Amino acid sequence: MRAWLLDPNPRSRLQSRLGQAWLQALRFRRNHLAMLGLFITVTLLLAAIFAPLIAPHGPITQSLADRLQPPLTPGHLLGTDDFGRDILSRILYGSRITLYIVGLVILTAPVAGLIIGTVAGYFGGWVDAVLMRITDIFLAFPKLILALALVAVLGNGMENAVLAIALTSWPPYARVARAETLTVRNSDYIAAVRLQGAGATRIIWGHIMPMCLPSVIIRVTLDMAGIILTAAGLGFLGLGVQPPDPEWGVMISAGRKFLFEQWWVATMPGLAIFLVSLGFNLMGDGLRDVLDPKGAR
Amino acid sequence: MIEIDTLSVTFNAAGRLVRAVENVSLTVGAQESFGLVGESGSGKSTILRAICGLAPISGGAIRIDGKPVAPQTRAFARQVQMVFQDPYASLHPRHTIDRVLSEPLTIHGLKTTEGRIEQALTDVGLPTSFRFRFPHQLSGGQRQRVAIARALMLEPRILLLDEPTSALDASVQAETLNLLTRLRETRGLTFLMVSHDLAVIDHMCDRILVMQHGKAVEALSREALAQGAMTTDYARTLFTASADRLMG
Repeated sequence: MRAWLLDPNPRSRLQSRLGQAWLQALRFRRNHLAMLGLFITVTLLLAAIFAPLIAPHGPITQSLADRLQPPLTPGHLLGTDDFGRDILSRILYGSRITLYIVGLVILTAPVAGLIIGTVAGYFGGWVDAVLMRITDIFLAFPKLILALALVAVLGNGMENAVLAIALTSWPPYARVARAETLTVRNSDYIAAVRLQGAGATRIIWGHIMPMCLPSVIIRVTLDMAGIILTAAGLGFLGLGVQPPDPEWGVMISAGRKFLFEQWWVATMPGLAIFLVSLGFNLMGDGLRDVLDPKGAR
Repeated sequence: MIEIDTLSVTFNAAGRLVRAVENVSLTVGAQESFGLVGESGSGKSTILRAICGLAPISGGAIRIDGKPVAPQTRAFARQVQMVFQDPYASLHPRHTIDRVLSEPLTIHGLKTTEGRIEQALTDVGLPTSFRFRFPHQLSGGQRQRVAIARALMLEPRILLLDEPTSALDASVQAETLNLLTRLRETRGLTFLMVSHDLAVIDHMCDRILVMQHGKAVEALSREALAQGAMTTDYARTLFTASADRLMG
């Protein structure tokens, strides 16, 4: 099986594609930092799926007798907050909300940015002018203010917060994708496929987007922490996720009041955000290396 | 087969007009091999790009079989294909050779059979085991063979060659030129070839047109070239510059 996968001269498309995937997996495995990132991400996924089984307490179960217990208190590994809720349980349940927000934003914003950027860059002229001015308008507003305005219009709630974050975070991706498109659109290999009679959709989708993908992936992994924090900011301002839902950002803002005396209330969810952002960053970096066929030996 | 009538190409470079080609006319007969020669910047490659719709035509007309060309349409793609100068830039770095060669067939809705791709590789003298490699795993000469195979996938009758060997070293140059000659003979192709190297042109072409500063200087037949029977000073200078290699 291994020999079949690693055959330098595959006999069919399926074998070639599987062989490529296998080589990519091997390259990813050699990158220890990327594996660490993958480990963190998988842990987050498992925590989200099995939260009801792992969590020692309910995420919103209050116990005012046990309020503000320090970490390592028996029964409360990471301590409790001002309502006596177990912080570990809240972090575990909160990973569901975090994953939901991050997942939805990743599925929408970079895709929209990639399409808008490559279309603008490929066609140029007035298409470029119109799309890039719209992008500039979105970029000109501070992200959080624009998200606030959108949530105010759309109404409270997690879905609307996700929508607002997605609508405010696509412009940088569009810019990155457009810049990459401009560097490749006049290259000979694009001219060659145009001469074969290919339409714009095929060229943009099959030839230009693969060249833009690495920079966009890097940008997405860098923005990951920002996305979590914007969601937290919206929650903090009373838009987006509402208490008592255990969203990490909401937890930090609730712990702000006790930061000096009961540091763990804000620090523990902060550490969770830090770890998850780090995990996404490391994994994104490894993914970019894997996607480049020149990295193959 | 190809008629170019007082063609002019003008580029607009930041408000400044650059006349890359001025009033050049030429005709290429069916199954003929026609060469365009000149120094860098003489507008010879621009003529090829103009035929393909990659350069802005400001005057004159290009006709193929008596009909005005409609570049970058499927019908045009089946008639005319181009081989680019730099094989390092003309293949998509993230597509396998298989994808590169099957793409033209997919665009035209033709069936891509395994045999067709392997046949195309064999025709340009590459082993079929190269099929799933990426361009960066191939040498310059091998890449140019892939580019030639790609141009031939749609079985065009006209091949535009933009200095197809100038990016390759001498021994690979000869191999590639022989491959092109063989393909022309077996498939009855019409070549319109650009080169700054008279030795290459002499090896490949029946008739040539010498260009300088975007204008046609002199048209020559291969016999006239071999006898050194040029009438203009510029063509003579160009000839003497590469004479030692012509004789060899």
